[in-house]
Amino acid sequence: MSSVSPTTSLNHEPKPVKRPILEVRDLRKVHRTHTHEVTVLRDVNFALQEGDSCAIIGPSGSGKTTLLGLCAGLDNATSGSVLLDGQPLEDLSQDQRAALRNRLVGFVFQSFQLIPTLTAIENVLVPLELRGESGRDKEAAELLKQVGLGDRIDHYPLQLSGGEQQRVALARAFIHRPKILFADEPTGNLDADTAGPIVEMLFRLNREAGTSLVLVTHDPALAAKARRVVKMSGGTIIAEEVQSHGE
Amino acid sequence: MASDPKPLPGNLLVALFHPWTWKMAWRDSRSQRLRLVIFSLAIVSGIAALVAIHSLKASIEKGVATQAKALLGSDLQITSRRAITDEEFAKLAAMSEDTSREVTFPSMLKFPAGAVRLFQIRGIGGPYPFYGTVDTQPPDAWKRLQQEPGILLEQALLDQFQAKPGDLVELGKLKLPILGAITKPAPRSGRFSGFAPEAYVRLADVADSGLLGSNSMSSSVVHLKFKPGVSAKAEKDRIKDEVNRSFRTESPDDRRETIGDAVDNLQQFLGIIALASLVLGAIGVAGAVHAHVSRRVPVIAILRCLGCPRHLACAIYFAQAGALGLLGALIGAALGIGLQTGVLWLFRGELPLEIAPTPEWKVVAQTAASGFAVCCGFALLPLLKIRRISPAVTLRGGASLEGQPLRALPIYLLLGGLLVLLALNQDRDWKRSLAMVGGLAAAFAVLALVARSLIFITRRIVRPRWPYLLRQGISNLHRPHNQTLLFLLSLGLGTFLLVTILLAGRLIQQRLDVTQTANSPSIYLIDVQPDQVDGVRQILTDQKLPILEDTPMVTMRIQSIRGDEAPQGRMGRREFRSTYRDSLNPTETLVAGEWHKSVPPGGPVPLSMEEQIAGEIGLKLGDELTLDVQGVPVKAKLTSLRKVDWSRFNLNFFMVFPPGVLEDAPGFHVITTKTATPAATGELQRVVVDKFPNVSTVDLTLILKTVRDILGKISGVISVLAGFTVLAGLPILIGTLLNGRDLRLRESVLLRTLGASARQVRAILVIEYATLGLLSALTGIILAAGANAALATFVFKADPWPPAGLLAAAFATATGLSVVGGLLLSRGVCNHPPLEILRSGV
Repeated sequence: MSSVSPTTSLNHEPKPVKRPILEVRDLRKVHRTHTHEVTVLRDVNFALQEGDSCAIIGPSGSGKTTLLGLCAGLDNATSGSVLLDGQPLEDLSQDQRAALRNRLVGFVFQSFQLIPTLTAIENVLVPLELRGESGRDKEAAELLKQVGLGDRIDHYPLQLSGGEQQRVALARAFIHRPKILFADEPTGNLDADTAGPIVEMLFRLNREAGTSLVLVTHDPALAAKARRVVKMSGGTIIAEEVQSHGE
Repeated sequence: MASDPKPLPGNLLVALFHPWTWKMAWRDSRSQRLRLVIFSLAIVSGIAALVAIHSLKASIEKGVATQAKALLGSDLQITSRRAITDEEFAKLAAMSEDTSREVTFPSMLKFPAGAVRLFQIRGIGGPYPFYGTVDTQPPDAWKRLQQEPGILLEQALLDQFQAKPGDLVELGKLKLPILGAITKPAPRSGRFSGFAPEAYVRLADVADSGLLGSNSMSSSVVHLKFKPGVSAKAEKDRIKDEVNRSFRTESPDDRRETIGDAVDNLQQFLGIIALASLVLGAIGVAGAVHAHVSRRVPVIAILRCLGCPRHLACAIYFAQAGALGLLGALIGAALGIGLQTGVLWLFRGELPLEIAPTPEWKVVAQTAASGFAVCCGFALLPLLKIRRISPAVTLRGGASLEGQPLRALPIYLLLGGLLVLLALNQDRDWKRSLAMVGGLAAAFAVLALVARSLIFITRRIVRPRWPYLLRQGISNLHRPHNQTLLFLLSLGLGTFLLVTILLAGRLIQQRLDVTQTANSPSIYLIDVQPDQVDGVRQILTDQKLPILEDTPMVTMRIQSIRGDEAPQGRMGRREFRSTYRDSLNPTETLVAGEWHKSVPPGGPVPLSMEEQIAGEIGLKLGDELTLDVQGVPVKAKLTSLRKVDWSRFNLNFFMVFPPGVLEDAPGFHVITTKTATPAATGELQRVVVDKFPNVSTVDLTLILKTVRDILGKISGVISVLAGFTVLAGLPILIGTLLNGRDLRLRESVLLRTLGASARQVRAILVIEYATLGLLSALTGIILAAGANAALATFVFKADPWPPAGLLAAAFATATGLSVVGGLLLSRGVCNHPPLEILRSGV
């Protein structure tokens, strides 16, 4: 990874669509208990090109979050295949998937998922530290400044509001310049006034960094900001739309 | 300036040395450091006890190794129950560079004020000791004793009998002036009991006392000093071959071994308690790590999401556990050094050898490292569960730390191995070490089983009709991550140990209290010669004292068994004091064969043996053996086996013959009686010593007082160590209460939001802590009562029911500790504004 300043890296022009960064083929996920078997996902197929954005929408229990987790290699599919940057996740061990995530993936969660014992800047630096990179505190501080937290870099998550925590999460998601960003209900825990700037920031950073985006949401307005919208119901994709404004 | 990316470590071991692991471990501990440090204190007491015990042993062994000759006073000591002849002495003297002779026997001393007391008299002739010194006050008293008649006694006894140097004391027919007080005695011969104080006289004066007859209970001793380079071991063999096979010999090496064995025994016994303390501490640390990692499941999932490999996530928490263990081990080692040097400094004047109060660094390092390893081993149990935390928890939440018992099997094996290694450190016998660790595991398993059962029962007995506060308080025990079992284990183990020690002490004290049993003797009149028996009996009758037993005693040795077969080992050298009578006494039970009241005509003499000694010698019913009764061979046949209750104070023997065989053999009688008051004892002693100076009056109550004092000291040491286990439990109690504080805080906020008053919230907490205390006390008391019943039934033959008062006190103490500690650590739970807690998402 070269050491390019975040400002420079986030301001370049969107890359032309070249090849799929994410491919999902015949994905199936079944939860088994002692007495029950529940099919959460079945026959899911879709692909996302580099730099593209996709919103997954659907009612609760439709399998959106499960799909996101499988795409990011957080869980194992029962059958089918997920290719992330051309690499089939099912062929990788847990630790190889973790290494791949560290290299390619950024995350934004509904409940922020910051590490409570780390300050804002320390949280942002974790993906870099996990790659063995040090000395990039200035970039992290700059990124926090870009999301409006320049004066709160040493605050702990408990000392920040929900909106501020999500902004730290955004900075953490982009600090290592991922190829793809997975966002699970990024505004689900925020009120409308707070959510607006976060969404604006998410799409701006995504656009500037040329990152692909997979977004799970209940919010049609948020989904409408993605180029493609995938509708799910009962564990399968029932419709897909390409929006005219998208990249 | 950014640095080049470095590859992440590929395995747990490498990850443990990666700087980021430690950086993250430090950062992750931010809000938990106090709790974690408190838990780390749990292993402090176990390691401190182990370090102190092992270091003390090392110091004593070092002291004994360098001062073994001074502990014996010579290069070789030869002891015989019968007098060593001049011819034998001449042979011994020819083998050595220098010699001293000694005769030792129990006898009564009469003080100027008329008081009498039993002493172990040591008549010493020659320049003994050859190594080390005997210190006296005045300093020249020991030298004067070699040149002039006199006697030396301990200062405490001079004070007790209000005697001073120059006063005359009576020893048989002799009146000897007190030359001074002994401040550092001559080395004791191993076989003399420590129950009578020693008095030193000149060997030349012993004969004039008129106390020693041919059958007296005396021992002859010769102390030898060899020329440099002469091997004591070789000379021992030569003496057996050329002088007398029946002599008992002891070299400095033998004494070192004897002391070493005694120290080993003490160390092994104390080591078990110390090991239990360490294991409890390590369980506490493992419990702390489990609670900590459980709280960190979301953080670990986030790290895994961000690309952290499993072994690196494990390494972060292993580093924390290791740091905790290291902190505990270092504090424990420092405390152990303090204990060891403190004990040596405290007893510096009272030990028979010089031991420098300096730390045994190698032992300290080894023991602390072993303790640290055990602690880390226990911590592995929760740590390896980290590998099973899925990054998908970030999306779903609500995951807990789960593990599979079978996967943990290698860890349990590793732990067992570590503990066996630690046990081997204090006892080289691997079978005993295995048994020790197995016993410890079983004890903890039983403790955990009882605790789990009580928790289960508590859960089942709560009824919907009970008041809400009571139901809620009890139900709180079952909330997730409450660590109820760990709490019960730590407080329960402490209760169990302390109550068991108190109950066992009570049983021993009951047994030692001779006044409780009507037919138990309190006075032994020993060395009564056959022609003195009637006279002594008359004295007892005159003083209206009962004659409980009048038993003849004859010394003998086994010459051969089953024809020409010589008895093996110490049984071949052992002298048996035997008796003859036509009936069993109340403390004996016939377990096999037939009891003979008389000698059948023509056949061998029927012999009854105590069952255990018969087994040790390898004899069974019907076997014939030849006994050497002071030079006269007697053929006997084993016709019965007896079980003897040695815990009674009656006169009992390994070998009992029927009347009609030993009457003419040289021997003496022992007569027992019982006095009601110390004054009656004193009067009896005075009259007996006046009429029969050679007869020793042994006051059993005095001996039992000494036994009680010794047991009291041992009990004190055990209690201190048990206290260490309680101390190990204390941080665990505090830690578990602190761990539950967040949950209680959240619950109290919820309750208050729903309208509960602060008083109601406090009542729920009190009920919860009181239930915890009661269950802990019950866990400990059930086991302690079981141990007490087993001891009372099988060892002491006493009432198996423990005193209700003691149990009530244990209940009250454990419950009080739990409630007070719990409330102290829950201060402020009711004062936090609900909104603050709800917003903070605690």
